[in-house]
Amino acid sequence: MSIGSPDSTVGVEDHPASAEPVRSATVAHGKSPTRIAIDRLRKDKVAIVCVTVVVFFILVAALAPLLTKLEGSDISTFNADLVDEYGYPTIIANAQHWFGVEPKTGRDNFARWVYGARPSLAVAFVATLVGTIVGVVMGLLAGFLGGWVDRIISWVIDFVLSLPYLLFAIAMVPIVESLRGGSFNLSPSEQASTRFLVLIFVLSFFGWAGLARIIRGEVLSLREREFVLAAKAIGVPTHQVLFKELLPNLVAPIVISASLSLPAYVTAEAGLSFLGVGLIEPIPSWGQTIANATNWFKADPLYLWLPVLGITVLVLALALLGDAVRDAFDPKTRR
Amino acid sequence: MQWKRITAVTATVMLAVAACGSPSSSNSSGNSDSKLGGAQVKATDATAKGPAPEIEGAKKGGIITVLSDVTPDTFDPSNIYYTDGNQIAKLYMRALTQYKLDEKTQKPTLVPDLAEDLGTKSADGLTWTFKLKQGIKYDDGTVVKAADYAYAIKRAFAHELYDAGPAYHIQFFKDGDKYKGPYEQKGAPYAGVETPDEKTLIIRLAKKFDDLPFYAAFPLFTPIPEAADTKKEYELKPKSTGPYKLASLTPGTELKLVKNPNWDPNTDPVRKQYVDGFTFKFAQDTIKVQRQVLASSGVDANALNYSNLDASLLNEVKDPSQIIKGDSPCVITYAMDSRKIPLDVRKLIGKAYPYDDWRKVAGLTPDTAVPASTYLPPAVPGYEKYELPGLTGKGKGAQDPAVAQEVKDKLKELGKENFELSWYYSNDDPIATQVNQLRTQTFQKAGFKVKAIGVPKAKIRTLIGKQDGPINIGKAPANWCSDWPSGTSWFPVLYKSDAIGLGNSQGQLEDKKLDAEIDRVSALTPDEQLKEWPKVDKMIMTEYLPSIPLYYAASAFPVGKNIGHVVNDPTQGMPDFTTLFLKQP
Repeated sequence: MSIGSPDSTVGVEDHPASAEPVRSATVAHGKSPTRIAIDRLRKDKVAIVCVTVVVFFILVAALAPLLTKLEGSDISTFNADLVDEYGYPTIIANAQHWFGVEPKTGRDNFARWVYGARPSLAVAFVATLVGTIVGVVMGLLAGFLGGWVDRIISWVIDFVLSLPYLLFAIAMVPIVESLRGGSFNLSPSEQASTRFLVLIFVLSFFGWAGLARIIRGEVLSLREREFVLAAKAIGVPTHQVLFKELLPNLVAPIVISASLSLPAYVTAEAGLSFLGVGLIEPIPSWGQTIANATNWFKADPLYLWLPVLGITVLVLALALLGDAVRDAFDPKTRR
Repeated sequence: MQWKRITAVTATVMLAVAACGSPSSSNSSGNSDSKLGGAQVKATDATAKGPAPEIEGAKKGGIITVLSDVTPDTFDPSNIYYTDGNQIAKLYMRALTQYKLDEKTQKPTLVPDLAEDLGTKSADGLTWTFKLKQGIKYDDGTVVKAADYAYAIKRAFAHELYDAGPAYHIQFFKDGDKYKGPYEQKGAPYAGVETPDEKTLIIRLAKKFDDLPFYAAFPLFTPIPEAADTKKEYELKPKSTGPYKLASLTPGTELKLVKNPNWDPNTDPVRKQYVDGFTFKFAQDTIKVQRQVLASSGVDANALNYSNLDASLLNEVKDPSQIIKGDSPCVITYAMDSRKIPLDVRKLIGKAYPYDDWRKVAGLTPDTAVPASTYLPPAVPGYEKYELPGLTGKGKGAQDPAVAQEVKDKLKELGKENFELSWYYSNDDPIATQVNQLRTQTFQKAGFKVKAIGVPKAKIRTLIGKQDGPINIGKAPANWCSDWPSGTSWFPVLYKSDAIGLGNSQGQLEDKKLDAEIDRVSALTPDEQLKEWPKVDKMIMTEYLPSIPLYYAASAFPVGKNIGHVVNDPTQGMPDFTTLFLKQP
């Protein structure tokens, strides 16, 4: 058996850490790096648990209206009968309110929890998606075209990375509000949705630059490789070289960057809302609930612990999943 | 007096006592004003002399720290109107008169301070003569002159500069509407004050103002030498006459007071000088400092906070004596612009208001807020309890579907379907946004259209203060505290047409008949006024309804374990700072 022949298993055996299974010589062979990575992921128990947790949260967020209907409550009804005259809830939990009610307002904890998962996940996924697409495109263009395009894009990347994002998040709100007609003409829910869009915009705007820089570096080394030169030589159009030849080789850094930014955005959203510059009522969010609940942690523990648990578990699952993805895609990692 | 927190529907203060007594006849009399009969007597004592009696167990020494979440807007004597600034200023600024609190009941008696008496009124009631105490010194040792009192009064007429201060002198003093203070017309004579000799201060009025001795307790009647006046900077280097003097003031952050060696206890019937100094720290986090004060560990035992205990901390109160309770002269209402909302609709708003649910969502506890059914609080003489159906400060309002439907039908009858109610709320304050949602939901259920405008907390005071603002609900002053225990501190100030121009109108009423009625009662002797104000109160509520009374406020603030003789001053709803001491200095 000569090394390098298509049905060889020698290479696999020489890499004991490789998760690729040793196949019998009869099995058809020749897997893409992505396929190999996914196979490795499947063997990773931690990754499987994390995927389950994330899917669970996505389902909770997506099915929030159904779940609250099942429970028989909603997020905005004030059940003042369920709190005493000092604002303390008179029930811990019942058939109507599975996780009890908020102090003072008597709004349903369960409904606000499941609806609170929505902005966290929406912000994280949208910001990651936008940031990744913009970052990849910018990085590909800068690295592949070079010259003045590279210089301009690199300058913009440096510029974006130098902006303070917290100040930006605070300052954007009044600007966008005035673009939408001024805060005097906006209803409370319009004001809240403005905050939501601003949050997504700010996080994506500051997320793409780092990824673009990594991609640019990768492309710079890839574009001198033979297969790219060959494609260019036979006259393949630039966009095809970019997306058919280069992009598949960049899957690993892209997936890793995206999987690591998801938990970061979930925390960022909760953190900003906790500080009062993120989401505001009437949109329920975990960060806001935590901010309100810190005063009541003795009187109504569930009120505080539910969103804390939600954020912790979700961020932990996303972060571990990100690690697992990186391990799977990066052949240099050894455990 | 404006309440120390206008956005006060939020983390609120003040535990109310159900049957707040009014100053009763148990106080000694001796002034022409105090010959009132019955239980409601304006308590004055023109003969009170210093020094104030020693307090049992009081010790000297130590520093008391006041950790405050709210920040007084100013410490300029002409500009102070909020209760907290007023109460703190008493430590280092003496005025013509002041209040002495009864040792047992804390009922206030008006006594002389820098004046020898409580003023003598001329036969027509338009000229008041105050005899001034002699030998009073400022903290730098210079002697207080009669001209300094006159100058301070003149200074307060620069109302454009001192726009937050009270405005009674503009309304009542002679030429008050024309004179613009000593800055604009430098050296111009003002006929309203006169000092014929060093012992006498004469105040001339344009119309009768029998509450002048009460008004004279405001810090704007503290003497200010003309040479020391630096206009807006005066608050940084004021001349002190009280037991303490200013060591340093960082506006918005910190105020430090130290002992004033030139204060003579023999001239002061109220104040004591037990502790060595006071440190006020402002703009603190409410919950954090209240926890600190309750825990009283280390130096926190020498600290107090003058905001009402947050309801979420009730579980953490181990020693009930750390919570000081008492009356406050404030009523919180839901003000409606009568020029924009017709009377019939205003009545329906009162019917639809979700009193019970609102109290809980706003974080008000039965200790801090007693449901109100009158405009005058029980702490003010002239209060007489009455309850109009639907306006008792209690009930579910339109949270009850039957009431919602009823209001909706009536709106339809009036042809006012979808009548638009608009108000400001602070969108960066979680409680305000929750209250806003509750009000919006409830009024929508009752068939109103709601336009709620969210604005930052920092801007809301200015916006609601505009009498001609675009909103029709919730213009300031919706919360009012009496400046002194009398109806004259309420009705003429809040409900007369000229109140709009003075920026103090509740409901922006412009009604000639009501003006005439208020003027008629104001002109009566204080004795007769007591019987007339309840009628005016009820008349305004039934015929005008400029605002819906929500609750009477009361105090319940936390104090550190080491602080002695903390009593609530019902004239301000604040602790009486002037008699505090440390148990173990």
